[in-house]
Amino acid sequence: MSEILRTHDLRAGYGLIEVLHGVNINVDAGEIVVVLGANGAGKTTMMRAISGMIPRTGVVDFLADDIAHLSAHKVTARGIAHVPQGRGTFPELTVEENLRIGAHSRRDSFAADIDYWYGVFPRLQERRLQRAGSLSGGEQQMLAIARALMSRPKLLLCDEPSLGLAPLVTRELFEVLQRLNAETGLSVLLVEQNANLALEIASRVYLLETGEIVSSGTPDEYMNNDAVRKSYLGH
Amino acid sequence: MSRFFQYLFDGLSSGAIYSLLALCLVVVYRGTGYLNFAQGEMSMFCTFLVWKLNDWGMPLWLAAICGMLIGYLGGATVETTLIRPVAKRSQFAVFVVAIGLFLGLNSLAGAIWGAPPQETMPSLFPNEPEDFQRIFGASWRYQSIGILVVGLVVTGLLFALFNKTRFGLAMRAVASNADSARLVGVNTGRVLAASWGLAAAIGALAGTMVAGTTGEVVPGLMFSYFVYASAAATLGGFDSLGGAVIAGLTIGVVENMAAGYAPKWIGQEMRLGVALLIILGVLLVRPTGLFGEQKVSRV
Repeated sequence: MSEILRTHDLRAGYGLIEVLHGVNINVDAGEIVVVLGANGAGKTTMMRAISGMIPRTGVVDFLADDIAHLSAHKVTARGIAHVPQGRGTFPELTVEENLRIGAHSRRDSFAADIDYWYGVFPRLQERRLQRAGSLSGGEQQMLAIARALMSRPKLLLCDEPSLGLAPLVTRELFEVLQRLNAETGLSVLLVEQNANLALEIASRVYLLETGEIVSSGTPDEYMNNDAVRKSYLGH
Repeated sequence: MSRFFQYLFDGLSSGAIYSLLALCLVVVYRGTGYLNFAQGEMSMFCTFLVWKLNDWGMPLWLAAICGMLIGYLGGATVETTLIRPVAKRSQFAVFVVAIGLFLGLNSLAGAIWGAPPQETMPSLFPNEPEDFQRIFGASWRYQSIGILVVGLVVTGLLFALFNKTRFGLAMRAVASNADSARLVGVNTGRVLAASWGLAAAIGALAGTMVAGTTGEVVPGLMFSYFVYASAAATLGGFDSLGGAVIAGLTIGVVENMAAGYAPKWIGQEMRLGVALLIILGVLLVRPTGLFGEQKVSRV
């Protein structure tokens, strides 16, 4: 399988404090890779370092090009979409405007894409002229994912999409991710603290602890690992 | 009754200038979250350039367009070279830089064009004593009609820019959530520079019209207009374009009515006080201004 993302010795932090101490991960085309980690392990920092939201050193190869020196808007134009923690929708814009701005990096016409996402998330169509700030948490997360995919990315970065959602809504969301992955071959890098559902859709798993990858393996290995189960699966 | 219409019309005409300048403040505020204290002085400086180009023989309308273009480039340059580097540190640093810009441009204008220069400025519109139309018993000067029309056209164009174009959507996205705007591929730096440029260009046009009504360009040209405009922006809610326009026109009408109907009590000297009193009243009842948005936040 062809490799879509590879980081090598990725380091980043805030001010003088380094949070990521040289992270090496890779994502192959068509994979859903899940990174597990506790609060403060550096999951969000890793995502922000990949998408160029914070200064970083090391190598970030995306489709065999090093993008570690690019700023965020250029990374997006290359084909990485990042759904940040807390969803990051534009509360003052309408649902439809959120989707339109999602296609900002594209030059071609995207009207059909909007219809497509209304098909996937009919609730968004019902609320297309409402402000995004008035949506429920689950609807906002759907909007955030649809908006990210409006750019037709090759890789989707998803930062704790389950945060603040009811388990049923999270399940629905993960099913959509899985379906998109199966139907369109979209690669996904998913960061999660509550790992039960994430492991169900994962192709591969990394474990991040205090800014370093400490292990990797298949979802089955992690589900059957007692230490991991205690720390991340809650049973 | 003709007095009423006269005050109303004069009020709308000066209100149109307040609105234009308030729009400049709102455009900058929405993008960056700061009040540009140097907005008035940037307008004044551009107006001097317009006057100078006209003095060298360029037709005034062409000079005004050139002044707007120079204003755009100047505004964008100020944002990228002066504001953005200090904005990373603190809001207060931006405030200090803007005050510095205010004083700097003011002295620079004095230094270049003599202190205090009193240059004769022609008007963009016909402005002879007989250039007026009588409607409802009030005299509508072509100059004032022209200012009102320009104000409405610029407002309309701004609305179209913000609501109908790709770039306008990007500007609104940056105002709503700058981090997310970067993540969807918006070059936020370019958007902020363009906001400042746009504000400076509109300011140049407003300054040229102000100088046309008083007939002279002086370093203190935009002083009181800036105060009225920030009052209008505050009253309108600071992040609302429509609010700035309506508030600007309202303040213009109210101060003219007050000064006209109560010349002894209020007259020319106290008109600013009337406007500020209304604003104080509104803000006590509605802290976000008449049309401001309560910031939505979800925990």
